[in-house]
Amino acid sequence: MIQSITATAYTRYLRAETGADVSSHAAFSSRRISAPPHNHIISVIGRLDELCRLEAGWDGYVAPPVSFSNANFALSVLASACPPNGPAPQIVPGSDGDLQLEWHSDIADIELHIRGPNNVRAWRFIQGGADDGEEIDLTTDFGVVAGWLAELSEAAVAARPAAA
Amino acid sequence: MMHAMSTMPLRPQHLPDYRNPPLNEVVLGIQFAPARGYQEIRAGEVWNLYKAEFPLVEELPPIAPMFETFGISRPSTIMNVGLVTGPIHNRFWFLSPEKTELIQFQQDRFLHNWRKVVDLNNEYPRFDKMIVDFEREAQLLENYFNDLSPQNLLCNQAEVSYINQIDFKKGEGRDKASDWFRFTNLGSAEPDDFSIVVRRNLKNTSGVPTARLICEISTNFTPLGARIFVFTLTVRGAPEGTTVAAALDLLRVGREVIVTEFAAVTTDSAQEIWGRVR
Repeated sequence: MIQSITATAYTRYLRAETGADVSSHAAFSSRRISAPPHNHIISVIGRLDELCRLEAGWDGYVAPPVSFSNANFALSVLASACPPNGPAPQIVPGSDGDLQLEWHSDIADIELHIRGPNNVRAWRFIQGGADDGEEIDLTTDFGVVAGWLAELSEAAVAARPAAA
Repeated sequence: MMHAMSTMPLRPQHLPDYRNPPLNEVVLGIQFAPARGYQEIRAGEVWNLYKAEFPLVEELPPIAPMFETFGISRPSTIMNVGLVTGPIHNRFWFLSPEKTELIQFQQDRFLHNWRKVVDLNNEYPRFDKMIVDFEREAQLLENYFNDLSPQNLLCNQAEVSYINQIDFKKGEGRDKASDWFRFTNLGSAEPDDFSIVVRRNLKNTSGVPTARLICEISTNFTPLGARIFVFTLTVRGAPEGTTVAAALDLLRVGREVIVTEFAAVTTDSAQEIWGRVR
């Protein structure tokens, strides 16, 4: 309960945040996020970190870096939508502090445009499906995307050549 | 025509109530998009909004944004993201003289805590008063941001927490978890310590999960070394809209869920000790 001020609860919070008993605030020199336990989480966090550090005008115009809030929300979305062994997303910055999570394969493309917290446009194109793909707006429930990514993962496994 | 005789809001009649609840702390909070035009150097101006009631100040590290999302259910782990570029905004505590209540403010968070102070034996002011105060305080902040640059607070999460400290000594020998919690049977020998976290999705009127009830029970110790159970109930999630009013609605729903869950989880004998009156 990180906003709690109870001494015991606060100590527990410090312990959870730092992995150790801490009696001062010195360990808070960086900002922390809650991250899903994915195989590719280290590279995802590294990429988000990179996008949050972009210099203003990185696109040659006036685009700001990806906002910390949006990066954090993206991780929460990944936790809710991406199977632990699912494919790693490509992460692309937008021009307004926003970002996109993308998965591309021979059989399907999935893109999540994170326009802000609780404001996501999800798009999927599958071979043999509708020409423009399907598009939905999502806020907090990413069960549909979890289904898309599970199908993508299963198809990728099925497409692998059998071991000799 | 009848008029209300008092400005004190009434507690809903259908909710359980206790004369001496084991509450140690209650927190109401909102998380919002950082306001346009606000810079850390203006934190003193925000303090001025509340200084008459909260004349003490402390500076703390910020709380990272938290979001409740749904789909695949599993716990997350905490990892560091070393964002060292860009401005770092601190969190401020504005405290009442007795330090029994405080406002927590940072560029994207606003919280109001009430806490019990043993020496003062201060009574819980009750949610119905706290939320009226919180609404007024949030409105002050929104007005301030709107003066900086025309805008409203854009709330993306709201959160209410009840933190209970269950003191074994008040239970006259009831020192087992099962004496206090209906669902705990921890075997023939009571463990030295334990920790339980239960999470449950809460759906909005359209059937979409938007918030989560998180119940945490663990053994712990008071600052004086007495062994206690800490029972924390939190409801956190996205309001149905970005306004302060929408966030307050979620806090009210969250309070009802928490109070109902508390009564469902704790034993009749425990509730008797706490003086359940309905």
